[in-house]
Amino acid sequence: MKEIMSNNNTTNISQARKAVEQLKMEAYMDRIKVSKAAADLLAYCDAHIGEDPLIIPVPASENPFREKKFFCTIL
Amino acid sequence: MATEGLHENETLASLKSEAESLKGRLEEERAKLHDVELHQVAERVEALGQFVMKTRRTLKGHGNKVLCMDWCKDKRRIVSSSQDGKVIVWDSFTTNKEHAVTMPCTWVMACAYAPSGCAIACGGLDNKCSVYPLTFDKNENMAAKKKSVAMHTNYLSACSFTNSDMQILTASGDGTCALWDVESGQLLQSFHGHGADVLCLDLAPSETGNTFVSGGCDKKAMVWDMRSGQCIQSFETHESDINSVRYYPSGDAFASGSDDATCRLYDLRADREVAIYSKESIIFGASSVDFSLSGRLLFGGYNDYTINVWDVLKGSRVSILFGHENRVSTLRVSPDGTAFCSGSWDHTLRVWA
Repeated sequence: MKEIMSNNNTTNISQARKAVEQLKMEAYMDRIKVSKAAADLLAYCDAHIGEDPLIIPVPASENPFREKKFFCTIL
Repeated sequence: MATEGLHENETLASLKSEAESLKGRLEEERAKLHDVELHQVAERVEALGQFVMKTRRTLKGHGNKVLCMDWCKDKRRIVSSSQDGKVIVWDSFTTNKEHAVTMPCTWVMACAYAPSGCAIACGGLDNKCSVYPLTFDKNENMAAKKKSVAMHTNYLSACSFTNSDMQILTASGDGTCALWDVESGQLLQSFHGHGADVLCLDLAPSETGNTFVSGGCDKKAMVWDMRSGQCIQSFETHESDINSVRYYPSGDAFASGSDDATCRLYDLRADREVAIYSKESIIFGASSVDFSLSGRLLFGGYNDYTINVWDVLKGSRVSILFGHENRVSTLRVSPDGTAFCSGSWDHTLRVWA
């Protein structure tokens, strides 16, 4: 009984130790300010929005889903 | 013997209290850098105009709920999987079915297109991920060439090829993710850390290196190093299961959709949630999310049959799309961003543009 208890204890302890190590790593990581992160997200959008076909629609003839061509093959 | 493995002064209780104080420290460090909100910074950005997005194609053919879909890199073909065990490859331009295979299990919850376009992967209640080479030889039986790659101890919820046809990443109801070699079926790396079923995963855009994000029933989103198997960052702000995760196109952030009826944006370098996309009128869970090409729009498929389109930067909803007659279960934007496809429990897929 005592041996089973000690096995449980060892597993729980090693799990707890792993959790502490993981949290240490996460707590001490390098972070940047939200203002900088937000500015970068804005900059990316801005740089790519012109090529985004769902925002700046390309002419219907260039979007295969919008054009009214019928896809048939003559057999 | 009862104290084997313990260091001096270390007890289970002391480790637990150290964990609690580290969690507090983590929150403090994150809060120190929280100097502004994303939507405040975005006030100076021009508002988006009116959107005209309609269903341009309806793909009919599944006999039951559509659970998952993926685009081929050719921006045209789509693979979809369903509750009835069928996996279908479609030409979305013509709506023709090009391939169909019946899996030996029902609830095929995951499917993915290989980067080469020459194979598909799928799985679900069979606890496996199998790869099928696609052949145009009418005499060949697709099912005969099936290769079982991944083995989990519970259902397969998501799968994705990495940058090549050679490796597959899987997520499972058994609480783990895993990386597999397709040719040998060998397990290359496993990812442990979620406290419950893992429901979704997404690989970081290739330029940003070897990481991926996963979301689960433990309400956590976790970012992993593919080589070491280590969890790099984790986020726990959702109030219910996370059904879908998707990287922002730059790789610096990711969005999530949850049963708590919200979608959220997490910035990886600020290490925190930076936006919540929600409305009082939206009370049903979000099942799947994806970004438009520039990252400015976030499309969310919901259990109330609608698709909400969000302005990622300003945090407001720009459009709501109706059409499906049951839950939207899966949603992906096409590789060139010209359209997006949604799959639903109403047995159909719709392509919107």
